Amino acid sequence: MICIESLRKHFTDESDITYRDLTFEDGKSYVLLGASGCGKSTLLHMISGALSPTSGRILINGKDMAAAPQREKDAFRIAKIGYIFQDFKLIDEMTVQDNIDVLKLEKVDVSRTDELLERMGILKLKKRQVSRLSGGEKQRVAIARALVKQPEIILADEPTGNLNYAIGRKITEALLDAGRGKTLICVTHDERLCELFDEVIDMNKITTPVVKGGEQHA
Amino acid sequence: MLKFALKNMFVRRARMVLVTLSIVLSASVALLAFNISQQVNDGIISTAGYYDMIIGPAGSSTQLAMNTMFFTDEPLGTISYEYVEELQASGLTNAVVPFTMGDSYNGAKIVGTSPDYLDGKKLKSGDMFNEAFEAVVGSAVAERYGLELGDSMITSHGLTGTGHAHEGNPLTVVGILAKTGTAYDNVIFTACETVWAVHDHEHAEEEHIHEDEDDGHVHEEEDHSTGEADEPMSHAAAHSNVPDTHEEETYDEAAEDHDHSYGDVCAILIKSKSFNDYYKLMEVYGANASLLCINPSTVLREVLEQVDLSTQIVYILCAIILLMNIVVISVITLLNMYDAQKEIALMRLIGISMRRIGQLYLIQNGIIGLISTVLALILSHACLGLMGSFVASMGIVLNVTAIYPLEWAIMALVFVLSVLPTMVRILSMSRKDSLSV
Repeated sequence: MICIESLRKHFTDESDITYRDLTFEDGKSYVLLGASGCGKSTLLHMISGALSPTSGRILINGKDMAAAPQREKDAFRIAKIGYIFQDFKLIDEMTVQDNIDVLKLEKVDVSRTDELLERMGILKLKKRQVSRLSGGEKQRVAIARALVKQPEIILADEPTGNLNYAIGRKITEALLDAGRGKTLICVTHDERLCELFDEVIDMNKITTPVVKGGEQHA
Repeated sequence: MLKFALKNMFVRRARMVLVTLSIVLSASVALLAFNISQQVNDGIISTAGYYDMIIGPAGSSTQLAMNTMFFTDEPLGTISYEYVEELQASGLTNAVVPFTMGDSYNGAKIVGTSPDYLDGKKLKSGDMFNEAFEAVVGSAVAERYGLELGDSMITSHGLTGTGHAHEGNPLTVVGILAKTGTAYDNVIFTACETVWAVHDHEHAEEEHIHEDEDDGHVHEEEDHSTGEADEPMSHAAAHSNVPDTHEEETYDEAAEDHDHSYGDVCAILIKSKSFNDYYKLMEVYGANASLLCINPSTVLREVLEQVDLSTQIVYILCAIILLMNIVVISVITLLNMYDAQKEIALMRLIGISMRRIGQLYLIQNGIIGLISTVLALILSHACLGLMGSFVASMGIVLNVTAIYPLEWAIMALVFVLSVLPTMVRILSMSRKDSLSV
């Protein structure tokens, strides 16, 4: 279970986001909806430990990860979290296989690679260089990479943001299918995808963003 | 880890090659500059170091050392051969080698000496000279003039090849030196007796002419048999009294001054038996105002370190080149690191720990550093080989395989510079959020 308590993030450009308390239950899928700048991606980054909050607590299975040292946050992210990014975060010069094999550096068991690529419908592209893939194919590779280590938590930051609705929906379905039983938190702008998730969270009601100059964000 | 590092380097091969090339070029310039200056310095000192004393007529110690060691410049004059015999009989020496110079063959200098002078030098063909008018020629001379064993050479008076020809006294090639890559390649070696005999014959002819022209006038001041040390120019003085017989001939001035009568040598090279013997000899012969006694190593070191500012300038330039290259290599590595920052952030975000990323980049940069230093060493020594023939004209053989301790230090420094900035940067990145790098 992930509990967000009195969370606040202050940025160097003087903008600021305050979050109301929020809980994500194990094994359920959540979609975070909201306007740009309302703090959806920031919340994912803070849960993953990639970004430290200014104040407040992020309790994951009872442990406050916000207060943990960076090394512990990194270790937690490596072991427990599968992160999917809007811009894929793939090594373009390498092949699909190599992009998943990079996890071997952390002694991750990648034996499920073929199975995951098969489920994503891209097994035949395994040896292809990532730079030669389409946006949809790249995102499928990114999902396969995030899931191959069998994480407890899957964080997806606008995974379909660069794709058209039809492809985006297929990818979201594939993600939910492959991530069944895990805690999945997905950020999206597309309300049409909400029906695929267990719960929808309107971030406009959860956060109070203040942009530079003290003006409250809509 | 190594496999992934190699794969990661391979997919970024263009960048890796450029980084490696930049480091190789910078490091090899530093290595080459240091090595060549060191070898030139050591070469001059070690060449000079074989003999611990050179005795010649009073004059410039630098000229005496350079003339006898590297055949440059002109002899100071002559001293009597009796000194050679005296030194050989002294029991204080291991080697006493006479040295005389004054004639040439098409500009190639002819050195009259004893076979001992060529100790350690290999013959490509033939034998060492044993008798008068036998000659051993340097490899470059043999090649340039197509000289072979048994060939005759008509030598000419003076060192420029423009003096009158000793047509009645040709030298026979009995040996050809193997290529040494030194000034020895450009010189012809013969016995002192050859030089004396040539000039004795010439003087006999001259005297004959004088007698004919001057109705039996005898040049009593000429004494070809002694050539006293305090009269190094006695023979030249004698020549000046010769009337117009040679007016049409174009002797060069040096040859005119350093003509040889029987028993004269230009210098004596000595290897003393011990340090004590060296000082005894120096005391005895140094006290003779008409003689110049030098320690060639000391003279040449002084030439290199104090008199010749160019050596100091070379060292300063080497230091500047080294410092500049340290800066260049650091900048290259840092730029490479900043370029890799995006990759590092990416790997960190997808779940690779900074420890693993650090190891990965340590391996990658270590490989680049290792390849760069090895290639820099190879390149610098290849350049050394190419420069060998140029430096050989100074009488120094550049040893392509010679690696100085400081070169290892430079290579170690280059390796550290290839790796250290990466490690520092990764360490600083590991203390920040993944998204802050």
